[in-house]
Amino acid sequence: MFGRPLLRTSYEQDAAMLPTAFQKGALAAFMLAVVLMGLGNSVFTWLPSSLLGPTWINPVTNLLPLAIAALGFNILVGVTGQVSIGHSFFMGVGAYTAVALGGTGDGVKACVPFHDELGLLDQTGQCGLDFPMWIWLPAAGIMAALVGIFVSPAAVKVRGLYLAIVTLGLVFIGLHLGRMLPEYAGDFESGRRWPSLDIKIWREETPLVQMTEDGKWFGLIHLSEEQKQFFFLLALLVVFTILAKNIIRSRTGRALAAIRDRDIAAEVMGVPEFKYKRIGFALSSFYAGIGGALWASYLGRASPVDWNLFLAVDFIAILLIGGVGTIVGTLLGTVFVELIPDVVETFTEWLAEQTEAAPPLGWIANLLLTEGEGDFGPISLASTAPGWPMSVFQWNFVIYGVLIVIFLIFEPLGLYGIWIKIRNYWKRWPFSY
Amino acid sequence: MTLTEQSQPAAGGRSAATTVASLAKSWADRAPRQVAMREKDFGIWKEYTWGDTWELIELAAHGLLALGVEPGDRVSIHAEDRPEWVILDLATVAVRGITVGFYPTNPAAEVEYLLQDCGACVHFAEDEEQYDKVDEIGRETLPGLRKIIFVEPRGMVGKDDDRLLFWDNFIEEGRHHREQHPNAVAERMAAARADDVMTLVYTSGTTGPPKGAMLTNSNSAFCIDVIVNAGNRVPGGPPNPKDQIVTYLPLCHVAERIFSTWTMVGAGPVLNFAESIETVNENLREVQPTIFFAVPRIWEKLHAVALIKGNDASRFKRMVLKFGLSLANRIGKIKVANDGNHTVQSRILAAIGWVLVFRAMRERLGMRRVRYASSGAAPISPEVLEFFIGLGVPVFELYGMTENSAVATANFVGRMKLGTVGEPYPEIDFRIAEDTGEIQVKHAGVFKGYWNKPDKTAETFTDDGWLMTGDVGEWVDGTHVRIVDRIKHIIITSGGKNISPSEIENSLKTSPYVKEAMVIGEGRKYLTALIGIELDTVGDWALRRNLTYTTYRDLSEKPEVIELIQGVVDATNEKFARVENIRKFALLPKELDHEDGELTATQKLKRSSMMEMFGELVESMYS
Repeated sequence: MFGRPLLRTSYEQDAAMLPTAFQKGALAAFMLAVVLMGLGNSVFTWLPSSLLGPTWINPVTNLLPLAIAALGFNILVGVTGQVSIGHSFFMGVGAYTAVALGGTGDGVKACVPFHDELGLLDQTGQCGLDFPMWIWLPAAGIMAALVGIFVSPAAVKVRGLYLAIVTLGLVFIGLHLGRMLPEYAGDFESGRRWPSLDIKIWREETPLVQMTEDGKWFGLIHLSEEQKQFFFLLALLVVFTILAKNIIRSRTGRALAAIRDRDIAAEVMGVPEFKYKRIGFALSSFYAGIGGALWASYLGRASPVDWNLFLAVDFIAILLIGGVGTIVGTLLGTVFVELIPDVVETFTEWLAEQTEAAPPLGWIANLLLTEGEGDFGPISLASTAPGWPMSVFQWNFVIYGVLIVIFLIFEPLGLYGIWIKIRNYWKRWPFSY
Repeated sequence: MTLTEQSQPAAGGRSAATTVASLAKSWADRAPRQVAMREKDFGIWKEYTWGDTWELIELAAHGLLALGVEPGDRVSIHAEDRPEWVILDLATVAVRGITVGFYPTNPAAEVEYLLQDCGACVHFAEDEEQYDKVDEIGRETLPGLRKIIFVEPRGMVGKDDDRLLFWDNFIEEGRHHREQHPNAVAERMAAARADDVMTLVYTSGTTGPPKGAMLTNSNSAFCIDVIVNAGNRVPGGPPNPKDQIVTYLPLCHVAERIFSTWTMVGAGPVLNFAESIETVNENLREVQPTIFFAVPRIWEKLHAVALIKGNDASRFKRMVLKFGLSLANRIGKIKVANDGNHTVQSRILAAIGWVLVFRAMRERLGMRRVRYASSGAAPISPEVLEFFIGLGVPVFELYGMTENSAVATANFVGRMKLGTVGEPYPEIDFRIAEDTGEIQVKHAGVFKGYWNKPDKTAETFTDDGWLMTGDVGEWVDGTHVRIVDRIKHIIITSGGKNISPSEIENSLKTSPYVKEAMVIGEGRKYLTALIGIELDTVGDWALRRNLTYTTYRDLSEKPEVIELIQGVVDATNEKFARVENIRKFALLPKELDHEDGELTATQKLKRSSMMEMFGELVESMYS
């Protein structure tokens, strides 16, 4: 009934994701804001292009596939409670499945491992079957899920830290395979090209939706290449977010949470431990595979070293800073963690411009920055700086580390926990409980 | 809309009397898809439309016919508030039977007395607990009891009693009966007469065994006309189908019957059944009723909840809350001084308070949408009422009793006087006897008499046919009535002073730490009091001071707790004249209980048995 949000007269109402009109409205407003930001200058032609232009759309688009992968990581670590630092490996599995099926290459024979040694081809070819996205994208997820299922028995055998080490091993196995199988991975350092995000029915020349060129959508709005990709990935993220939310609150999700809280107790209560750990790994890897395939395709080029430990650690940071076990927390964490480097970089660039400014600003800028020998500011402008002073890239890691420590100590539920605390404070007004 | 317009011509040409059942049927005919009741079941408020409700009432009525219920036969109901209560009640009235409600807390001995006294032929015992109370009674002592209907099957499997009948089977029997005699219920309803007894309401019996007051169809019709449909009494017009009511007090009590069943059939608001008395707070929050009736005990409890939770709030919240409550206090005082009306100043204060505290607090208490609230059935302390009025909850004190269908006086919108029970309804004859000060009434809502107790009935009426209420009242400003006390409760000290104990008791009970209070002093030199502490709040208070305790008794005997209550007593003494001061008090060593005979089913003190139980404690205060 209107104005009585707690009076639930049906289970549909009780289970609604957005039970109140206010929540529906707030989410709609937020989504509208995101879409309008995405449209930017295409609609608001009178706005300065720096405000809504590609300066922010590239980093934001970049984090969308990572957010999909992070949702999967949350299902495994946050919901099922299985500590993993091998998420980047599963992303890699998905990405290489995508490139093998959707990339350009030298035909079917080139997809046989060691085909040159076997004499199938004269030289090392590249595997790429040039299938459209509706084949390679689901396949990327499924392949990663299968590998996840293959790995999952380890989670029943070992727990906690040991499981983390097992999954860490996966990352190095992945790197090794990347070196061993250039027919899939391309050159170890420089990698290979990924299929574009164009939507095709089969292998036609003009795709149904052209993602890599500017153009008009529906003959109405002129969109740039970046904007098209942004909207496409945003739509996928929304779909996968709703899917993840529904998985978590379903029977499966409750079983996974039971495993997290105590696997033996869950087993006693009739939740098959092995089955659900397997499901947890499969779901998580599926998301990772999709995320990896989309990310590599969005970047256009990737090499085996991209699926390294640093990427896996990124997800841990995302979860701990955002909020373990929650969807909103995962998304907040992704935005926060993935945008820090851009913020730090922009800040450094801005600082570098201020060195000539009037004190105290210029003075502070000079103190912080290192330009050449004998200058002892903590931030080096060089892209790779060994030791002290540290580069922007290295500072990013320090910031992650410090943030993780701070959140673990002061707010274990992450950014989402902060939000919950604020919300409950007002919800309980004027009492405290 | 008057009731005569609603009554329908009977098949035989003679107009049938309006009964609560015929009113329910007319709602089902007019608005079958409108929601009539909600019951919380597995976390969901399950809805019954008027169509569903009447279908069930009709089937239950046919079921009663199948069980051989004749006009004037008694059907007793022993259950918590639930839709089946209302359905069976209305079905019984439809077949011209007499509904008898028992309190769910009635112990077996009382159930035996009540069943024997009313001689019910069909008994509804909702679950195993209530069935066991009947089971304890020998079958030979209840020869007339043919069937016991139960609705909760848990624990009932394998009971060897041929009188048992499961609710669903009862409804099925009704369906079967309806197929064979499709008009049987309609014929009974058409034969209904205005002076048919429709219910026996057992009085709480603070002195002596409970007596069954016989209320007739014309009593209920009068009551619905005066109390429910009186537009000038309810801000925003009489109750209507958009209104929400939470049903949580025992339906066998006349007040809850009027504010639930009779209001529902009279005006069509939705009845929302609370899960139990323990969950009332949550249920109120969920439903946010628009019309709310509570007994003083509930108002005191809500008041205590606000104060205690406020004390536990974080520092900033506590600060804002303190400010808000002081605002509420001032608004309450201004409104009370203005007959319940706003002034410009109080409106401004209310607006500030609404933003800061009132809106949220009323939401938390479940009072956010209340447009009419009332208190009755026992005296309430003015401080509690003032608090709620200050919060913006329009609480009106009413006065009435079972014997006059609760129709006597009420505070009207814009003419409220705090500390009084309002003005007599214009439709009734009302007087205060000059010699005794007793309130006497005469109107169409006055009961027919006590069941099987003609001598007691005669005692209740004056020679010229006025109902003696047993309450001492006095006029305030010539228009409003203030209740002094029950005649029997007035204390005459050895110094010859007349003292009304309930005012002093209510003042004590304003404190969240006091649950029960009984002032003693009949024939004594000075007044003393037995005081029962509220375990939750005093326990909480003690824990905050690192006072550990084990039991209620242990807590009561702590010197710190005695000191705390001394503070409450001192504060009360300041408000009263010297002769009315409590010189000594003693804390009760146990929580009072209906089962142990210290309280009535309505949680009123049974003074005589209290004196028996705690006589020594009382004597110790006078030695």
